[in-house]
Amino acid sequence: MLLRQVAYVRPGSVEEAVLALSENDEARVLAGGQTLVNVMKLRVASPRVLVDISGLEELSYVRSGDGGGVDIGAATIYDDLASSSELDDGYRVVREVAGGVGDPQVRNRGTVGGNVCLNDPTSNFPPLMAVLDASFNIVGPDGERSVGVGEFFAGSYGTALRDGELLRSITLPAPRDGAGAAWVPLRAAHLSWSMMTVAAWLRLSGDTIDEARMAVGCVHGSPVRVENLESALRGVSVDDASAIEEATAGLGDDLEPPSDVHASADYRREMASVVARRAIREAAADARS
Amino acid sequence: MPGTEPQTTRQITITVDGVEYTQEVEASDLLVHVLRDTLQQTQVLIGCDTGNCGACSVLWNGRLIKSCMMLAVQADGAEIATVASLSENGQLADLQQSFSDNHALQCGYCTPGMLLAAKALLERTSDPSEEEIRTGIKGNICRCTGYVNIVKAIQSVAGS
Repeated sequence: MLLRQVAYVRPGSVEEAVLALSENDEARVLAGGQTLVNVMKLRVASPRVLVDISGLEELSYVRSGDGGGVDIGAATIYDDLASSSELDDGYRVVREVAGGVGDPQVRNRGTVGGNVCLNDPTSNFPPLMAVLDASFNIVGPDGERSVGVGEFFAGSYGTALRDGELLRSITLPAPRDGAGAAWVPLRAAHLSWSMMTVAAWLRLSGDTIDEARMAVGCVHGSPVRVENLESALRGVSVDDASAIEEATAGLGDDLEPPSDVHASADYRREMASVVARRAIREAAADARS
Repeated sequence: MPGTEPQTTRQITITVDGVEYTQEVEASDLLVHVLRDTLQQTQVLIGCDTGNCGACSVLWNGRLIKSCMMLAVQADGAEIATVASLSENGQLADLQQSFSDNHALQCGYCTPGMLLAAKALLERTSDPSEEEIRTGIKGNICRCTGYVNIVKAIQSVAGS
């Protein structure tokens, strides 16, 4: 397939990238290209200018943040995320999810920033970021700003990024004592597309859930934090299977999933509690390990 | 200035299987088209054109990527290795010989990409399990073999 004519610029720094984005009409960030190149082949979008940030070392890193959390450069490829030991303290789930995206070729180019900035309803990272309480560090012509999950994800394919702005990095907060997280997909086949994903973050005291964050992906435009489920889980013992079952039973009613070629809305609604229970189990195991 | 002025065409320098080329390309050119049509490296194949089948796979600075999913301009300054880099002086690499011995190809269309995927896998994990092999070739679709002999061929050279 042939792309429409486009102009390309490879900035040498984040500053140059912001300039290129703000000074050119219809300019888009090009990172790994694992989505945008296809979009351009299919002519779903044809930006006038591509600002290639994929080689910027300034945006490719995983390191300890101030205050004990982790900072992840937006242009960090999935493969680097998957192999980073900086995530071992509290964020092993990020390594696992990154290591399962697409295939080896995709993981060698695709970036976590691209995943969250695309905010496709089936993207892996938005629901995970939602339960990890990530913050998104944005840089633009008017300076730097940080926004939380609720503001960053703004409906299907929508984010808080304004014209001329670029996602610089994602910050994960300092891991809490007794906390663990998991991300569980529902797939038709091993390593195939997800019909639904559930991300869970739990903070335990002994076997009791003190705090729970649960998000469902692939069902709505933005990752959904299911507050009913989160309140129902508070005070429940992770080892009490029937209490967990009771807490998760109504999850499907809180969702308005689509019917599509992968699964019907009813199937997704019904499977939501099953997948949620798996995610709770795995998050508890992560908390206890 | 190259870093700040967008250009619709760009001169790129790219090394393919050890040979350096300097070439003017359109910013809209895919790497696979420049490799095949401009640089005559027709051992790099086009399968699905949408980044799903992996037939176009090459090594870019040592990393396995799909060349239909990269713009040629993004490869400016890069080292590309195609399947042709596996053999030396007409001698097949062990991996290639193993594919032949184990009947790991029928039509051969997935084979250039598959060989590079196998090479990339073995460079990371010298003795992969069957599951690791199957995950390692996940980006390469084969319509003929059912993968069984491909897995065997890779296992055959693993650990060596």
